[in-house]
Amino acid sequence: MKKLVRSQQPINMTKAHGPLIAGSFLILLAIFVFILFGFGVEGEATFRLSRPSDPYALPNLVLPAENFIGIASLIIAFFGARLIVKTPKEYTVFFAISFFLAVAAFLVWATAGKSFSLTGMLQATVVRAVPIALAAMAGIMCERVAVINIGIEGMMLAGAFAGALFGSIFGSVLGLLIAITVGGVFGLILALLVVTFRVDQIIAGVAINILVLGLTSFFTSHLLKKNPHLNDATVFKAIQIPILAELPIIGPMLFRHNIFVYLAILIVFSTTFYLFKTAYGLRARAVGEHPKAAETLGISVIKTRFVNVIIGGMIAGFGGAWFTLGSVGRFDEGMTGGRGFIGLAAMIFGRWHPVGALLAALVFGFADSLQQKLAILRTPIPSEFLAMSPYIVTIIVVAGIVGSARPPQAIGKAYVKES
Amino acid sequence: MKLNTILRLTSGAFAGLLLATVQSANAFTACQVTDLGGVDDKSFNETAWKGVQDAVAKHGIDSKILESKDGTDYEPHLNSMVGAGCDIIVAVGFLMGEATQKAAEANPDSKFTIIDFAYKPTIPNVLGQVFETDQAAFLAGYVSAGVSKTGIVGTFGGINIPPVTGFMDGFAWGVAHYNKVKGKNIQVLGWDPAAKEGLFTNNFDSLDDGRAFAQNLYDEGADIVMPVAGPVGLGSASLANELGSDKLKIIGVDGDWTVTDPTRKGVYLTSVMKNMDATTLSVIEMAKSGNFSGGVTAGTLENGGVGIAPYHELSSSVPSDLAAEVEALRKGIISGSIKMN
Repeated sequence: MKKLVRSQQPINMTKAHGPLIAGSFLILLAIFVFILFGFGVEGEATFRLSRPSDPYALPNLVLPAENFIGIASLIIAFFGARLIVKTPKEYTVFFAISFFLAVAAFLVWATAGKSFSLTGMLQATVVRAVPIALAAMAGIMCERVAVINIGIEGMMLAGAFAGALFGSIFGSVLGLLIAITVGGVFGLILALLVVTFRVDQIIAGVAINILVLGLTSFFTSHLLKKNPHLNDATVFKAIQIPILAELPIIGPMLFRHNIFVYLAILIVFSTTFYLFKTAYGLRARAVGEHPKAAETLGISVIKTRFVNVIIGGMIAGFGGAWFTLGSVGRFDEGMTGGRGFIGLAAMIFGRWHPVGALLAALVFGFADSLQQKLAILRTPIPSEFLAMSPYIVTIIVVAGIVGSARPPQAIGKAYVKES
Repeated sequence: MKLNTILRLTSGAFAGLLLATVQSANAFTACQVTDLGGVDDKSFNETAWKGVQDAVAKHGIDSKILESKDGTDYEPHLNSMVGAGCDIIVAVGFLMGEATQKAAEANPDSKFTIIDFAYKPTIPNVLGQVFETDQAAFLAGYVSAGVSKTGIVGTFGGINIPPVTGFMDGFAWGVAHYNKVKGKNIQVLGWDPAAKEGLFTNNFDSLDDGRAFAQNLYDEGADIVMPVAGPVGLGSASLANELGSDKLKIIGVDGDWTVTDPTRKGVYLTSVMKNMDATTLSVIEMAKSGNFSGGVTAGTLENGGVGIAPYHELSSSVPSDLAAEVEALRKGIISGSIKMN
């Protein structure tokens, strides 16, 4: 009865029902974890914390599978019950811990009787998240000024191509700079199309994707395949951050990467700072939310959109260069493999906030490296399903969150200046 | 992928103009229709075309080629070749199976041969060329097991389909054979030939996946990796090149990667080769001498249709007795005295 009364207060609707639903959900999750993973599982799950290349040797993390899964599901059930009975303030913390335990129980179940490198998986999580996070940053820069950028995939592909070609001729550093410039040029093209000529933003983005795919395929078959030395760039080597790189687990995960990973993290935080702590960022957001009001206050909507979309393109170009200069050192057709689009999903999942998008990219990176480990461990799950899992995770998180995420108000609309 | 299709549809319109015609003076003409990727793809199109060129050099015949830019090109290209009076038409690739069947049934007097496809039931005027890559991969698996220092080797594929998993089966069986002979326990990561499950990138174009997958296998202790995913494997080679071949070695597939990718030649232990040039040449010779008949011809170790590449730069890491054992295995498989699984 008490709950019923509370639910009648319209403002607190979600708050009143939230704990009940969340609590029931956690109890269901506990039952699910226990039945699916807890039954018939035997042996110990061994997670190797140090790798052969590490300078130190850490002991392996060994977990008895049956006990771990039993205890994990008990804790999740307890949290669920706790949420229903009395809503604690640490509501989201309970939720986060429960999810972590569920994923851990799944991992322990899959690894029971076997072993795998946990450190390697966490490092791969970061590496795989980099292009997605950069694509998401490019998307945020554009969408915050109300320009939808479907062309990120194409901009990244252009950056990858330019990085490989010019990196082979002029060296990696100059190749990277040219890749960023090329990304910026495509940003400029997008801005011209949608801001100046007011072309439909989706169509303009798709046009860029098709254009870049065509151009890079043409130059690959007519230039790179005939001149292999033009497609042989030096990959940026990993830079170990002194002291920090020696830390167990965290060191390999965060501080033993090439320049792309460090710069990606820097870009995420400088984008956050720019958008939310500077006057320029405030103006950019105003242009995205209410361009007419912004214009009234003397902000040039056109100029702001141009600048931000070009910067977005440069970030996409940098993200594209990662594929060639940060990973494999050569270009092949279609090598970005849809990461630009997944980046857009990460942007929405992260609610158009750089840090949120970074976390979303890490979720994807984790799912991606997890599926590889599971395929190597030969779990009973079919490989096709495992390979789908990063995309399924993306769909679930986007579908689950998109209702409460709010894009910039003026998004997709061309601005016509009144004179 | 959709964008890709749209693009290729448009460019496909121009492909018809690319018919390279050699003035016909001789009595016999061999013609090839390539699959996507073009004739300079350093892979099956190029290898099959080399077979045609070998026939030209050896027998003084004429040749023609049409490059497909899209799946919709297959049929018109095959029909143009029929119209051009070709004596034998070489269709390259599994994907052309349906189009070749149509063209062959509509033109029962023309002779066709197709790579990587076997018809059931057979068509009287089509000779399918299939390759028992598992035989060659068996040798690669054996030599990997002998060379591995960590006692763990790995493989991953593009898609879980027979032309890919044939390589992986043979590789795993070769390692198992080594274990049986030597009483060792070398592990194979990424493929279980009994369960038909393993590690797949699910694409043939994301090179970055090749690097990530190889890194993953390396983290699990593998020091030799065989990527069966076309150019994706070049991403794995990039990682090996960075780590050094003492830490990670790569086994190439289809062609000899030491030759086709000279910039990273130091990382290739060997390659599992499909010698489409040899089989294509022999099919052309059959057609020329009037011995052509429809059905299936299999490239094996015995007829040189499959094989492993020389160890090239890494021959110092293959002990001479191991190399001799591999050679003996090759003979054993040919004679049938060694069962692979």
